Amino acid sequence: MLLERDGLLAGLEHLVDVAGDGAGALAMISGEAGSGKTSLMNELARRIEPRGRVLIGGCDPLTTPRPLSPLMDIAADPDAHFTGHDLVESDPFSLFADVLDDLKGTIRPTLLVIEDMHWADEATLDFLRYIGRRVADTKAVVACTYREDELGTDHPLRTVLGDLATRQSTVRFSVDPLTVEAVGYLASESRHDPADLHRLTGGNAFYVTEILATGEHLPGSVSDAVMARVRRLTPPAQRVVEGVSVAPRDLAVDHALALSGADLSDIDEATLSGVVVARGARLAFRHELARSAVEDSLPMGRRLSLHREMIDLLRADEDLDLARLAHHAGRAGDGSLVVEYAPEAARQASLRGAHREAAEFFELALIEADRVIPSELAQLRLDLAVELGILDRQEQALQQLLLAAEFYRESSDHVMLASLLRRLSSVLWRNLDLVGARRAIDEAIELLQDAGDDEALALAHEESAFNWMLARRHASAREDLARCRDLAERTGADHVVLLHDYMAATVETVLGDAERGVAGLKRVESQFRERGDDRLAASALGMLGSGGGEVRRYDPALDALRTAIEEGLRTDADFMVAYNRSWMARIAFEQGRWEEATRIAELVAEERYGRAAIAPVTALGALGRVRVRRGDPGAQEALEEALRIGEGCEMQHLWSPYCGLAELAWLEGRSGEIPKILDWVWGQALAADSRWARGEVGFWMWKAGAINEPPDAAAEPFALHMNGRWKEAADAWHDIDCPYEEALALAEGDEEAMLEAITIFDGLGARPAARIVRSRLRAMGVAHIPQGPRLETRANPAGLTNRQVEVLGLMAEGLSNGEIADRLYISKKTTEHHVSAVLAKLGASTRAKAIARAESLHMTKDGGDGLRQ
Amino acid sequence: MPRYVVERTFDGGLEVPTDPNGFDTMMGVVGNNAKEQVTWVQSFVSADKTKTYCIYDGPSPEAIRRAAELNSLPVDVISEVRVLDPYFYVGASS
Repeated sequence: MLLERDGLLAGLEHLVDVAGDGAGALAMISGEAGSGKTSLMNELARRIEPRGRVLIGGCDPLTTPRPLSPLMDIAADPDAHFTGHDLVESDPFSLFADVLDDLKGTIRPTLLVIEDMHWADEATLDFLRYIGRRVADTKAVVACTYREDELGTDHPLRTVLGDLATRQSTVRFSVDPLTVEAVGYLASESRHDPADLHRLTGGNAFYVTEILATGEHLPGSVSDAVMARVRRLTPPAQRVVEGVSVAPRDLAVDHALALSGADLSDIDEATLSGVVVARGARLAFRHELARSAVEDSLPMGRRLSLHREMIDLLRADEDLDLARLAHHAGRAGDGSLVVEYAPEAARQASLRGAHREAAEFFELALIEADRVIPSELAQLRLDLAVELGILDRQEQALQQLLLAAEFYRESSDHVMLASLLRRLSSVLWRNLDLVGARRAIDEAIELLQDAGDDEALALAHEESAFNWMLARRHASAREDLARCRDLAERTGADHVVLLHDYMAATVETVLGDAERGVAGLKRVESQFRERGDDRLAASALGMLGSGGGEVRRYDPALDALRTAIEEGLRTDADFMVAYNRSWMARIAFEQGRWEEATRIAELVAEERYGRAAIAPVTALGALGRVRVRRGDPGAQEALEEALRIGEGCEMQHLWSPYCGLAELAWLEGRSGEIPKILDWVWGQALAADSRWARGEVGFWMWKAGAINEPPDAAAEPFALHMNGRWKEAADAWHDIDCPYEEALALAEGDEEAMLEAITIFDGLGARPAARIVRSRLRAMGVAHIPQGPRLETRANPAGLTNRQVEVLGLMAEGLSNGEIADRLYISKKTTEHHVSAVLAKLGASTRAKAIARAESLHMTKDGGDGLRQ
Repeated sequence: MPRYVVERTFDGGLEVPTDPNGFDTMMGVVGNNAKEQVTWVQSFVSADKTKTYCIYDGPSPEAIRRAAELNSLPVDVISEVRVLDPYFYVGASS
């Protein structure tokens, strides 16, 4: 199977079919080395062979190419009706004429392939020019492949291409690198991260398949392929390539010249060979993989000396490129230079939002820890911990903070220690040490009582409010916020006031007036942006997403989550990306978009190892709850795994999975078990101030008959439902697009409402809940209960959906895909999907056969039953 | 990989022609399943052809549902199952 080549293959096949009618074509197929041109030709040949003749020849990378070698190869094929013997003496043009006659004279079409045209000799190029001008009158497609990256501006093939380009019979195809999706598909059975693999290989099909086949980071076959190309270069051009290989990303041309002692013509040789490419005034490898193959091939002494020369060259620049200096210092093993450049390079990277790079530079600096004075070392660890936290490497972040804490405890610098404890508190929390997190922030506040630093104390109270908010304790959070505001106003420092406003809006969203809170979070987000603090702005968006999601302010929450995920992906903010995605999944679950919910949840769950628990807990909770509501297997397992990963989490992350287990018990007729299932979380919900936790946990307690009325301060739709006001509850759920809960409320109503509930449950695919309502209706003696979704969508012999029946009807009227798309207000692509589904279900290979078959099944208007239902 | 039984209802009766078109339909299903890493092992069809019980291997019930969606096949109930072979113990008792 060839990925992402369907379009190319279809186009080429079409050319061959047209050629069969006497309109031949020249197909010029370009692509970089390893892009899969040969595989494409082989697949095309396989497809053409049943209905045509296939002749294949190729050019070779010889210093002195054999004249006309592709035609000689082909002449030896018994299917070819021209002979190549005495070719060298004979007039090549009489041979060309023989070939032309052959291509005109057959009954079936011919596919004549010439591979690797970039290596063609002069005479083969003449043939290409000759046949390219005459191919239109033949029954053949002449398909030539060539490496675009090996054609310099003065390559003779370019001239021929130029001559033939304007002819109607010349068609160009390009075999593009694979996309991330295709790489992901190929790598789906392996442990490789598709994005990494794609970046490493540039989507080059050969590199991707070699890495996957060997499981090696740099397979020998790839090194061999790369080095074979390098060794064909002259020594000065090879030195240019070696110089580029020691540079991260790319190398300035001036530096390349200085490193290699080569001149500009050698640079041209290197770029024209396709090994390196010119990007502006810089040189780079086309693939990271090729770069490391060359760098690895360098003897150690040569490599070190190149890195040292690079350091000298970079130090001579006016604006120091700290990142490059730090890189080369590390590679040259120069510890003192690493310490000089790496920390600053890391800080610059962090400001740019390149957090992975920042962490790498901090880690590089820490290798030389013994060259750094203790106070700087502690600062380095603190800075690294921040980056690691962003990257969702929470355990490592914690380790660095604990090491830094040792230093600050000994130094008796209370303000610094308190600042570290503030950071430590949130990292301990993410590592599920909730008690330690509370203790750390309490200690910070205590340390600062007499330190006389209002700003530091204000920040400590802000962190403390954050911690209480996480535990959903309203009164304590408000107390800290009040202290924070007094101190912030006393300092007059804008950024402290803004941080207070941020936390106040967060607390308001989750525990107070949600509308005000959401508006406040939007405001602080833009204020952070104005100050250029994108990271805090992203945090505010995350808070809007998760906090707003919990209190079911879905629209602003979803907007915020989408923006934050996009931004997080751009800045390596893996923790925020995972957590925000998990909330996308949770909201999609609650709003009945279950397919979307499970897809996003899987993304998060797959990457859960070694990362903060709160994202996978939330994601697996959503996944498990979708299974519960669909009646699918694995529901209990997913929810129990969520709770196992989440052991030690706050109640806020656990009540939804617990409610999932309770709901499963209800659907399976085990309601008696619910009070036991919810025992712990019910106590937690009553002790905390989250209206929605009380609402939902209370609801399932009420369903089980364990309570008779809603708990105090339960979220309104749940409270209405528990108070028997099912109609108002259903309306409230309807208003916020929670169809399943709406149907649960309707199911408590009269017969009409129950029938409506069934319609909603059926639409969602909520089979177990629908079954319960149906059996209650039956028990009530209701005669006409709709039987289920299949009556509406599958009442036709071939199992077509309503939409497919509609599409089939329009096909029968003779409409094209484009016309059907216009008629149904859907895209052409969607129409194509419907049409192919219709063909597949009717077992038909063409539209005409599909329509005939539909008629025989009495599915069309003429057939009697009527297509529309 | 877990094994599932997927129950499907075809109110009009399932019909797969025993000609090249039927073969294409089957291969289309197999191809779509592969996109979700799902393998169709075999199916049992009720005598009136309105119900099928399909044995599938797949990574998750969600993958089974997605493959069904791609093939426009109905899904009633998905159950995770184990294989029990009555002759497994033959020879062990004597």
